[in-house]
Amino acid sequence: QSTIKWRMQTYAGASLGEHVIKPAIDMFNKIAGDRMQIELFYADQLVPTGELFRAMQRGTIDAVQSDDDSMASPTEVTVFGGYFPFGSRYSLDVPVLFNQYGLNEIWDEEYSKVGVKHISAGAWDPCHFATKDPIRSLADLKGKRVFTFPTAGRFLSQFGVVPVTLPWEDIEVAVQTGELDGIAWSGITEDYTVGWADVTNYFLTNNISGAWAGSFFANQDRWNELPEDMQTLFRACCDQSHYYRQWWYWGGEASLRVNGPKMELTSIPDEEWKTVEDAAVKFWDEIAAESPTKAKVVEIFKKYNADMQAAGRPYRYG
Amino acid sequence: MPRVITGYIRGVDAMNRFIGRIAMYLIFVLVGVLLWSSISKTFFYPSIWTLETAQFVMVAYYILGGPYSIQMGSNVRMDLFYGGWSTKTKAWIDAFTVLFLMFYLGVLLYGAVGSTAYSIGYFGVEPFSFFWDLFLTLFTDGVSGVQEKLGYLERSPTAWRPYLWPVKTLLCIGVILMLLQSLAELFRDIGRLRGVDL
Amino acid sequence: MSYELIAILMFSGMMLMLMTGQRVFGAIGFIGAAAGMALWGVGGSDIPFAAAMKLMKWYPMLTLPMFIFMGYVLSESKIADDLYKMFHVWMGGIKGGLAIGTIGLMVLVSAMNGLSVAGMAIGATIALPELLRRGYDKVLVTGVVQAGSSLGILVPPSVVLVLYAMIARQPVGQLWLAGVLPGLMMATMFIIYIYLRARIQPHLGPAMKPEDLAEFEQISDHPLRLNFIVLGALILLPLLAMTGLSDAKTTAGIALAAAVGSFALRHNPMFYKDVFMKEKHRLLFSGVLPLAIFAAMMVPFVNGWTSLVESSAIGAMTAFVAAVLKGRMNKEVFETSVRSTLGISCMFMWIILAALGFGAIFDGLGAVNAIKDLFTSQLGLSPWMILILMQVSFLLMGTFLDDTAMLVIVAPLYVPLVGELGFDLIWYGVLYTITTQIAYMTPPFGYNLFLMRAMAPPEISLRDIYISIIPFALIMVSALALVMVFPQIATWLPGYVYGK
Ligand SMILES: NC(=[NH2+])NCCC[C@H](N)C(=O)O
Ligand code: NA
Ligand code: NA
Repeated sequence: QSTIKWRMQTYAGASLGEHVIKPAIDMFNKIAGDRMQIELFYADQLVPTGELFRAMQRGTIDAVQSDDDSMASPTEVTVFGGYFPFGSRYSLDVPVLFNQYGLNEIWDEEYSKVGVKHISAGAWDPCHFATKDPIRSLADLKGKRVFTFPTAGRFLSQFGVVPVTLPWEDIEVAVQTGELDGIAWSGITEDYTVGWADVTNYFLTNNISGAWAGSFFANQDRWNELPEDMQTLFRACCDQSHYYRQWWYWGGEASLRVNGPKMELTSIPDEEWKTVEDAAVKFWDEIAAESPTKAKVVEIFKKYNADMQAAGRPYRYG
Repeated sequence: MPRVITGYIRGVDAMNRFIGRIAMYLIFVLVGVLLWSSISKTFFYPSIWTLETAQFVMVAYYILGGPYSIQMGSNVRMDLFYGGWSTKTKAWIDAFTVLFLMFYLGVLLYGAVGSTAYSIGYFGVEPFSFFWDLFLTLFTDGVSGVQEKLGYLERSPTAWRPYLWPVKTLLCIGVILMLLQSLAELFRDIGRLRGVDL
Repeated sequence: MSYELIAILMFSGMMLMLMTGQRVFGAIGFIGAAAGMALWGVGGSDIPFAAAMKLMKWYPMLTLPMFIFMGYVLSESKIADDLYKMFHVWMGGIKGGLAIGTIGLMVLVSAMNGLSVAGMAIGATIALPELLRRGYDKVLVTGVVQAGSSLGILVPPSVVLVLYAMIARQPVGQLWLAGVLPGLMMATMFIIYIYLRARIQPHLGPAMKPEDLAEFEQISDHPLRLNFIVLGALILLPLLAMTGLSDAKTTAGIALAAAVGSFALRHNPMFYKDVFMKEKHRLLFSGVLPLAIFAAMMVPFVNGWTSLVESSAIGAMTAFVAAVLKGRMNKEVFETSVRSTLGISCMFMWIILAALGFGAIFDGLGAVNAIKDLFTSQLGLSPWMILILMQVSFLLMGTFLDDTAMLVIVAPLYVPLVGELGFDLIWYGVLYTITTQIAYMTPPFGYNLFLMRAMAPPEISLRDIYISIIPFALIMVSALALVMVFPQIATWLPGYVYGK
């Protein structure tokens, strides 16, 4: 029996992929041995990220790691992938939402409609601003051209942010060539890991989301063709990846804020930041009004956050 | 050469020349968009649409200008041997190798059509029959019938979120024009072999 | 099929296709598409088109038509004519001086456009006939024009460095600055060579006599003194502002002082020895124009006021407006510049499109692994050996492969390796560019060769063209070696400017 070969492309560039996916794929290949090998490709390597979804649906690429938002999935749940503004506070919120609050089922249903297997979702880092000039008040956001996610960008534009989307690998250079004033795409761990800390000076400690939600996907037919144990192994390795990120980001965020030499921290006072949080509530309702499925997801987000609030410390403070 | 063929060559040449000559002025549109980008950002508020618009214009520029650039002979060839050949030999070889060029353009077109179908919500594997169906629907049920058959309209994953079908359609058209021009080049070479300069 | 086999098949297939003389983009695109169809499995046929979307998103590509347009406006409108006269008048009196002046001209022209095409055109149409008429050796001057114009991609702005920047993910600004000193160094090496050659064999580059110079409706046999100060100031101004050594106000002040100073000079006979000096000064001012165009584009860019693509549009517009103001933008010039820009841009874009598709398929089929393996484990070489081998392979590939295609296909394989070996990727960009320049002009395949053949006056044979580049190619190889041994030549300026 010949070796099954998969091509997988991630949204991340090589430097980030080193952490957010490569260990899991290496592990998979080692265990699967002659039975199956996955070759991993990074951001835009085979197809541009904008074409990633279609390439997977079509079978040009067998599997993908990305958020729904940046690969522009043609589904009802796309806006919730990536950073849905203030959808979660901690990275543990994401797996709980998917595994215990029913997001898995909704995602599964939505992706089945478009010929794609949603394998599992996990959390990444919070979404902070990394900028050349300091942000100390909401007014400082005005007119800043910032690399961010489509949905986050839509949300942030009401505060005068000018969202820009460029190929991930081009961001560092785009900051240097003046195409961008900053980045609202990640936490500080990533800023340091991928080199963005070298081209920006300030890190805003307020975030617009506590955790990024991303997923592993596969072409439906390719997935169905896999022997069951390979499916199980794949799932296990995805979980390994989720687990690795969980502690890598969590620890990294704290450590770099405290010890990182390259970025100066700034903050917007809580009362002022409240404007942004309130705007998110409105934004959620706008999104919910767009379709029944979206309304259902927003409902889940609301319920989850209310539960966390009610549970009190350490789930929510204040 | 048969009348049809000479007519084809003349027709395609004229059309592509016409389109190419319009495309060549897009450079000023490009300059304008980018200047507006720097002006708006310096004096007012940065525009959200300039970079992507410029990218779309650039696609139109080189895709629609492509056939005209073939007419002008702008596309370099490696002429280590080619340069030394007689006109006749060149025509022979070209008549043959232009088929490879056309193959490439065909694959490009195939991908373009599939991607364009995707951009208007067709997720199946037979984009051509999808478009054919749309075409027929246009006659039976009119524009509203067509609209009903469309699915999820693909948007660019940026904050501006433009629809992508226009630029993808443009790419399809451009590649088709390139194919037509390549075929004209093939006919021209065959003509040369028969001693007619077309 | 093994990775090695795929790599070999695809490369040799491409080489074969190229040999047939079919358009480069067709040859490359075909091999990519065919390999995708045959070997990829489901959906391989979609990659060539996905490359079109990737190309669209490569925003620095927007600078391509801009820098090309600048070049054409410059050469077609003949706003470089005065510049050329300036160099002739000032340098003509020295043995080999006209050829040396031509190199100077090329440096300035390079600062105003991103390719070598414009330099070639200006060199071949303005300088060459004049040089030949003055009894310069045809082989020497053919080489001068080719070597000089190749500076176009090393002195900023540079299209090749923009392309490299995109592939290596390095900042364009730093790369451009990294090209400045090596570019000037190479120009100096050319000049030294010409000077020595003309000293030893004066018949190759006879000095102009005052009578000859008078033909230019001016002149003096006195080499200038004070006036070099003015010229020097004018050249230094944009640099000053760019490197941030002086702020906008001071720079403007110096410019004003220089202008007033030279104005005084040209009107005060005490400062010049003969009547022709007046003409010299007049011409000196023609050197302001290119510097102004260069500054209009570079100063806002390096200071971060405008982005790269915006700056390129400013450059294109400035060049256009300059031509209009000088009354040189007639219908014909307009038509030719606009049309040629389309032609050359299309050539580039289609090659890149095809090469991107080829590259992604090559990569997705695993052939990249074969190349990596070859360099890292199989040959068992030291980092420096690998680096040199890569440059040699660029030169070899450059004999049959278009350099843009080479960049898009091969650099993605090499650049990460170079990075892993611990080399600086900015520095490597300069090495790459110089290597490309050599490939540009060495037979059998190279843009500069094509252009030279197309533009050279009839008395210059193909053989002349081939022979002419030998000494210059050797100089460029030594420049390459110098930059390799002393990386600071490339890295000092960007480090200085961006280091603060
Ligand atoms: N293209 C994407 N979906 N990127 C997600 C990025 C989110 C996260 N901060 C990361 O970069 O890992
Ligand atoms: Na240049
Ligand atoms: Na060559």
